Amino acid sequence: MVIQNDTELLAQIAKGDELAFISLYDRHASHVYALALRILHDPMLAEEATQDAFLKLWSRARQFVAERGSLLVWLLTITRRTALDRLRLESRRPSLSDATDPDELWNIIPQTDTLSEESRWRSMALVIKTLPPDQCQVLELAYYQGMSQSEIAEVLGWPLGTVKTRLRAGLEHLRQAWGER
Amino acid sequence: MTNEHPFIEDIPAYAIGALDAAHAAVLQTHLKTCQTCQAELAAYGVVSDALLMALPAQMPPAALRRRLLTRLPGAQKREARPKLAWSFNQFAFGFAMFLLLALNAFSVFQMLSLQRQQAVLARQVQTGQTALAALAYPETRSLPISGENITGTLLLDEERNVAVVIAWNLPALQASQTYQIWLIDPQGKRTSGGIFTPQTDLPFTSVSVLSPGSLSNFTGIGVTVEPAGGSSQPTGKRIFKVDF
Repeated sequence: MVIQNDTELLAQIAKGDELAFISLYDRHASHVYALALRILHDPMLAEEATQDAFLKLWSRARQFVAERGSLLVWLLTITRRTALDRLRLESRRPSLSDATDPDELWNIIPQTDTLSEESRWRSMALVIKTLPPDQCQVLELAYYQGMSQSEIAEVLGWPLGTVKTRLRAGLEHLRQAWGER
Repeated sequence: MTNEHPFIEDIPAYAIGALDAAHAAVLQTHLKTCQTCQAELAAYGVVSDALLMALPAQMPPAALRRRLLTRLPGAQKREARPKLAWSFNQFAFGFAMFLLLALNAFSVFQMLSLQRQQAVLARQVQTGQTALAALAYPETRSLPISGENITGTLLLDEERNVAVVIAWNLPALQASQTYQIWLIDPQGKRTSGGIFTPQTDLPFTSVSVLSPGSLSNFTGIGVTVEPAGGSSQPTGKRIFKVDF
């Protein structure tokens, strides 16, 4: 049995190969569903978001460019956007700007070798736990609830400047910890 | 924040999509021409990607996998197990086609068999009518047929060139055999007058003699057993002979 990498599978998916699609699903569905569940906090909604993300993968397979980064990042970015859109629909909040669209992001983010270091990503969970609670809270609302800094300030009743400072500090902490690993 | 990079402090929030839309649009324009801010964004972009992966994996319900498979537009099936099902379907289709062809072949055989029986019956009717007509004609001669355990009559009307053999107790033949009538001329030369098989559903067999010329040119007929399809000259046992 030949184990194909993500890019090879995606090339077959672009040709309509159902078996390649299932192989990719079995490989990444647990990450996709975990992210959707973290954002939506509802198993049924998370299932729907997971399904939508994989259907988008099926229909957009030809758009993937391997040189830009890993397929899993691409798929999870689609998942995050799909889940956040669903969350905003449920809470009647405005949709995300196109700046969070994976294709749009790729236009402005230079390619780095670190994008493929999947094993290091998993250590990020440990780093997040070291953040001060107020930074962790802001990061949670911004990243996993899709809120803008202004929305966070409104929800938490904090000054906008405080939100910006804590979010920037939290991300700076993650960046430094990431660089040391 | 610096004069050269007025939005650099907004880049972390922008990288995770948390910057307000108006500010994001301004920063995006700046990013197109500022390599320093692009590098800063790349660094935070990696952090953003890592946050995607920071969660412990969790498998979705198995039903989702099955549901997804039913919702893929234009999917090409290429599964290992369906191959067996495909083979079974192919076998079933082939078997059905074989049955259909066999049924068709049987129907054709039946039709041809019926046509042959119809032709035989038509020929018998015609022979019977010919015999009746010959009997009704005053010039027709009835010549006795005499052979081993065989009796019968040859109805002969030389004027109308009609001759009908009506023979009783003709022995059945093997499938590879046939009876053949021979017309005998004064020099003893034999000319074929047709082949026939005995009727199985009647105690007698009637058959018209097929003469290539006037019956007056011949002095009698003989009947022999020949290979199926007939012979050019008599080769088998003579069953009976009738002199005109």
